[in-house]
Amino acid sequence: MAKDDVEARTSKKYVRTFIFSMKTGTPIEKLHVITKFFMIAAMSVLALYMFDISVSKGGPDIIGLIFLLIIVFALLIISGTSKYLVNSYLLLALPVPISEFIWWLFFDGGLPGAKVTFYLWPGFFPFGLSTAVLVLVFGVVYYRTRSFIIAVIPAVLLWWLTAMPGTLDFSPLTTWFKLPIGATSSFTLPYLSVTVALSKALGFAVLIYTSFLFLLTTRDTEIAGAMRQLGLSFKKSFFIALIFRSLNTLLIDYENIRMAQTARAAGVNRKSVFSKIIDLAYVSIPLVATMIRRSTEMGVALYARGFEASKKVTSFKETKGITYMDVTVIAILSAFLIYEVVLGHNINNLLIR
Amino acid sequence: MSGEGKTVSNTKNKYPWSNYTLKLGRGEPVSTTQYVLYAVQIAAVIILSYLSVVLLGPLSYSGISLFYFVYPFFLVFTMWWGIWGILGAYIGCVVGAGLMVGLGPVASGAYAISDLIPPLIAFIVYRGLLANRGIDSLWRDLTDKEVAGFKTNRVAAWVLFIAINGVIINAVSAELGVGIENYLGLIPPGAFWGWWAGWFFGDLLAMIIITPVLVKGLTNLVERQGLINRGWIT
Repeated sequence: MAKDDVEARTSKKYVRTFIFSMKTGTPIEKLHVITKFFMIAAMSVLALYMFDISVSKGGPDIIGLIFLLIIVFALLIISGTSKYLVNSYLLLALPVPISEFIWWLFFDGGLPGAKVTFYLWPGFFPFGLSTAVLVLVFGVVYYRTRSFIIAVIPAVLLWWLTAMPGTLDFSPLTTWFKLPIGATSSFTLPYLSVTVALSKALGFAVLIYTSFLFLLTTRDTEIAGAMRQLGLSFKKSFFIALIFRSLNTLLIDYENIRMAQTARAAGVNRKSVFSKIIDLAYVSIPLVATMIRRSTEMGVALYARGFEASKKVTSFKETKGITYMDVTVIAILSAFLIYEVVLGHNINNLLIR
Repeated sequence: MSGEGKTVSNTKNKYPWSNYTLKLGRGEPVSTTQYVLYAVQIAAVIILSYLSVVLLGPLSYSGISLFYFVYPFFLVFTMWWGIWGILGAYIGCVVGAGLMVGLGPVASGAYAISDLIPPLIAFIVYRGLLANRGIDSLWRDLTDKEVAGFKTNRVAAWVLFIAINGVIINAVSAELGVGIENYLGLIPPGAFWGWWAGWFFGDLLAMIIITPVLVKGLTNLVERQGLINRGWIT
């Protein structure tokens, strides 16, 4: 790598990644892309395994999942991307674990064990923990979005989830004052349903935030460079880089087309859902036509620069070597994988026993 | 030009689409324009897969959307660009409807098989079987009464299109996708058929609405530019 290139790279404070820009010089930025991929793959396997441990083997490893989630958030903070994540993706991604919790609570039938009572309505309005959750969630989401509807939906949903368990409704620690309203409506579920549903919600959170960690801290050129290091030819590596490099451009094209349609009064009349779907279909023609035009132009540009005749090419300057840090991360994660998945140990059992 | 004339004369010109077969290709290397086009169409499928999952609300659950509008795109791209369209469908699902919505690489890589199989089957069935029986492998007979002076059978084209792509292949895709997600513990057993129906009807609706628009608007244009693959690769 030329000295000027090294200086240019090291002098940058931020570099562009797939969906954001990343601060340079952080421990995550210094990791090799292969290490980062191994990290998210290992975390995914662990999450999938931990939330799917059968009841006969002791049930899901909830403490293990909480441990993984803490690691992911710590890595996001270290990488300097947590602020962007909170601003852009936290609210978007939060409904997924909540919905997974509800889905698994009600649709995972046939689990053995003691039953627990849940209340659709306990017969009174519980002032306490659930009310605090309602106010807190509404306040935080409204502060961030300034939308009453967007704030009230997660707030009511979380309030309802915390008001459902009978143990919370009838404990003086969590319910401080009761205002009797209406009749009681309740149902029972196996205790394990709650454990499984909670583990699924935690597992999904791990999957989502590890994926974001990768997308927020990886550059397309890093992938192309890694492909070259793995022995792929320049044309194959460049093909992969071209795919990832085009993502942003195509997303901008899509937004421009939508804006052009809006400027031509596409959204003036109130339309049915079916009409809106047809509108979406009409985006397809300019989008694909733009894609073909862009490809033709890029193809000609590459040809004019002797792409087909190129024999010896310079390597990507973003290509990194494997460091001790990479080896350490891979070793720790491999050990964790062997401990949990291969040997079948469980952090839950280790700590609770 | 002489090479092109030889290719045409060697092909049975029974139908205007007889040049589009299941051979490997034109017998020439991939041009620079094709090289870029194949990469960019994969990027387009990634973006559309992502939008298909997130446009109807917050990040859709387990990558499943009630209106997966990328489905007709990768089917049409496969009919145009063969193996590259199939590759686009798979990578699009892994990255756009998997990694970018937070499913993680393992689950994404596994369930994306459900987007790999439909275009693969459609390509083989249309180019290998139906093209020789009067059905256009580029699906122009869904919208046009004539293709290059040849009168098309629109009723048969629509019946086969819905039966093969909308019902059979789509059911295989839903079964694979929801089945794999259920096996990985991403979908609760009691909700299997609800997810299955959401997947099936979401894809069916998108396919019936968007495919004719895409085919009518673009297939002839792409063909005129010489960008449609004769075979799997070029």
